[in-house]
Amino acid sequence: MRLLDKYNRLGILAAICVLLVGGAVYYVSIRAVLTRQLDQSLVVEEQEIRDEVTEHGQLPEASYSDEEQEEYYPGSATTPRRFSSVYVGHVHSRHAYFRQLEFPVNVAGAWYRAVVRKSEEKTEDLIELTLKITLLIIALLLVALFAINRLVLNRLWRPFYSTLRKLQQFNLAGGQAMQLEPTSINEFRQLNEAVSQMATQAVDEYNEVKHFTENASHEMQTPLAILSSKLELLHQTELDEAQAQHVAALAGTVNRLSKLNQSLILLTRIDNRQFAGKRSISLAGVVRAQAAHFEELLLARDIRLSLELSDSGVVDMNETLADVLVLNLLTNAIKHNFDGGSIRIIVASHQLVMSNTGAPPTEDPQVYFERFRKGSARPDSLGLGLSIVKKICHAYGFFIRYDFTEGEHRVTVEFPRPS
Amino acid sequence: MFRDFCKKRPVKILIVEDEPELCSSIATYLGGENYVCETAPDFKNALDKATLFDYDCIILDLSLPGGSGLSILKELKAMEKMDGVLIISAKNSLDDKVAGLTLGADDYLPKPFHLSELSARVAAIIRRRNFSGSNLVKAGPIIVDTVAKSVTLQGRPVELTRKEYQLLLYFMVNRNRVLSKNAIVEHLWGEDLEGNVDFIYTHIKNLRKKITDGAGGDFIKSIYGMGYKFTAE
Repeated sequence: MRLLDKYNRLGILAAICVLLVGGAVYYVSIRAVLTRQLDQSLVVEEQEIRDEVTEHGQLPEASYSDEEQEEYYPGSATTPRRFSSVYVGHVHSRHAYFRQLEFPVNVAGAWYRAVVRKSEEKTEDLIELTLKITLLIIALLLVALFAINRLVLNRLWRPFYSTLRKLQQFNLAGGQAMQLEPTSINEFRQLNEAVSQMATQAVDEYNEVKHFTENASHEMQTPLAILSSKLELLHQTELDEAQAQHVAALAGTVNRLSKLNQSLILLTRIDNRQFAGKRSISLAGVVRAQAAHFEELLLARDIRLSLELSDSGVVDMNETLADVLVLNLLTNAIKHNFDGGSIRIIVASHQLVMSNTGAPPTEDPQVYFERFRKGSARPDSLGLGLSIVKKICHAYGFFIRYDFTEGEHRVTVEFPRPS
Repeated sequence: MFRDFCKKRPVKILIVEDEPELCSSIATYLGGENYVCETAPDFKNALDKATLFDYDCIILDLSLPGGSGLSILKELKAMEKMDGVLIISAKNSLDDKVAGLTLGADDYLPKPFHLSELSARVAAIIRRRNFSGSNLVKAGPIIVDTVAKSVTLQGRPVELTRKEYQLLLYFMVNRNRVLSKNAIVEHLWGEDLEGNVDFIYTHIKNLRKKITDGAGGDFIKSIYGMGYKFTAE
């Protein structure tokens, strides 16, 4: 729910409540005032009757009209004096309510019960009018509130929505400072200041990490390059068998170390979103190119490769990462295969499926996607291939799944159609 | 006379690398290939040498004390010099690679690399730059035409698969060198193929058989525990 709607709903609800309660109080108090007025005029009538009795020793004539009625009944000294409202049926086809006062009166030793009534019709009319006006005011107020909220709040909150939009579009890798609309409202100005400060800090730290990654790569790789070059030179000299084995072992280790370093740098760079630049890439093309690369290797190990490639498999991503994704899956499928096994690659409009024969997994397959986890105890495997794949999928919001059925490992990557 | 001069003219290489040990390794390895190697340890030195003299190939590190290798590249381009340039960079960033190749570098090799790979890349650049039509690489009875990508043994053409061709050329430009299995695998399949590299044996066995059948001699020696060595003559 938008803030504005929430605000509107709350405001209107509160307004209705206040107006209803106000209306009720208004109604009750006006009614009380008017009734008291009626009662006072009834008391005047009572006094007139008593005066008449005192002066003339007889009751006035009983009268009966739409407005006023005076009646006398035989009574006793204990007849109570009381006010009440009575309903006397229809008068002029309207319900007629009267306010009446009963009181005892002694006329020449005989007790009577005198009743004087006055119509409440005028009072009712007044109250009705009051209610109508109140309802009209409620309606007008609600419309006004709604309109004010719409117009004024929308305008007032505009800097907020503008900042929000900028935040949503903010891209760390873009390297651009956030341009926020200036505003005269203190709260929003503070918000904008806080946001741009945070953004600047994030960009700074991002750049720092980026430079660190590059520097780490540089600092690590130069010594590795020296090590590897010296070992290669040592290779060219006359060595006895034991020395040769030591040199070869060293060279292998340095090789592993430099690959490990490169994989870690790649992971960090994907993490840091340093692979900007997307374009539409045909996965079928990538798979074909990578598969051709391994043609003879597959032949040598007698692994059968079957491709079911649809040209509708198009993804929006960085080209290098698309290559890395397919390459890592393919080398994984080759590495964990039997000699004489098979690999099947399917590219469809929204998914890439790579399945291969191989030994069943020895532990929960989910851990293969974690760094440095390996299915086998092979010392030559780094266990980084699949975590790179997962990282790439994560970066682009692709869904990746692994399962093992009927003796086949299967990795499924599902990607959205490019917009 | 002039033709003789052309033929005998030594291939000159400038190595621009600030790390002295790496620089000396490269110079030692390439020196064995009958190249004349000069070195430049910093930006100024490199810029002076690159602008004053002509080289067949400049091996250019991008991050140098005193400036970026890319500036040297720009300067060479501005002077319209025809030197071949191979960028070696530890900066694993794609930007450097793209910038370098856009500025006219011939190739890009990220550190760390195998010296044999560097040597193969340098040889390829020199072949491409060489206008005397030297697209033939020869070793004994083996002749590889790098333009037609064809191989003849004692004058008879021989059918090689793509990887066998790459493997043979790699051996020939690194003749008399011991090549480790890792270096060979990386040359053929790139850096990314981690894992056991023993499968390379099958490829080498096949290539060896084709050469032995066609040329009547075994040129590829297996060096126990270390790798393989190609020798001719």
